Amino acid sequence: MPELPELNPVVHGRLRLSLLSLLCGVEEAEFTWLRAKTEATDGNLGAQLLKLEEAGYVAVKKKFVLRKPQTLYRITKSGRQALSDYVQALKQLLGTAI
Amino acid sequence: MQEGTTEQELKDRLSLIESMIGEGRRSIETWGWTYVLWGVAYYFAIAWAEWGRSAWAWPVTALIAVIVTVVVASFKAGNHPGTTLGRAIGSVWIALGISMFLLFPALGVSGRLTDQHLFVALMSAILGLANGASALILRWKVQFVCAVVWWVVAVAVCFTTDGQSTILFLVAIFFCQIVFGAYSQIAEAQQRKRRGPIHA
Repeated sequence: MPELPELNPVVHGRLRLSLLSLLCGVEEAEFTWLRAKTEATDGNLGAQLLKLEEAGYVAVKKKFVLRKPQTLYRITKSGRQALSDYVQALKQLLGTAI
Repeated sequence: MQEGTTEQELKDRLSLIESMIGEGRRSIETWGWTYVLWGVAYYFAIAWAEWGRSAWAWPVTALIAVIVTVVVASFKAGNHPGTTLGRAIGSVWIALGISMFLLFPALGVSGRLTDQHLFVALMSAILGLANGASALILRWKVQFVCAVVWWVVAVAVCFTTDGQSTILFLVAIFFCQIVFGAYSQIAEAQQRKRRGPIHA
């Protein structure tokens, strides 16, 4: 009997999964854009992005545009790999469930 | 099955990934207004050229439409991030614009743009090319239908009378620019409404 894969708990959270999926389609994204797309609160979004950053799945860059602070996020190579592994694991689990 | 995770939850996660990745396509759909704008611009230029009998109808209208497109797009862009997909689609349409701005004035100035059928066939073929490329990149069936309509018009006008070719062109503009543009905007608004907030 083949062993069932474990789902990565860092990726599994709904908001974190949304963020990784959003970031995998763009080069880099502003905090405000991610907030608009997920409709999450500032606090929740910041906390989940921090978890992804601590896991090494997203990289953060802060800069000033016309004297306004801008926080940009981009998915890292390991973040992309983690998302890809997660999708594979999901498919495998669903395959055994059907 | 993962402990504490139901099959429905797993399916929900998969569809969440799909919908978020689909944001690339949705950001293209926010360009629906440009189709409507250019459709109206084509109608305006056709009417001006027909009743005003002015050689400036198309160049002036196209130039104004370009300026409006650039200004509105720069306001709408806001904090939208760049995507490879967006750049690919944008490149197709920018290349189309450059081709038209070089080809049609050159044909007009050289006096070789005397045949209305040639003008409509060229316009339709170029619009078919851009819509087709965009539809294939996005795997968007509705836009591919528009491309097919443009290609059909491009071929058909070679065998029709002046009146018929004008009608074909006007009908194609209506469906492939105005109706398609409005449909894209409505689809985007509906998708935004359907998708609620995402919690941790």
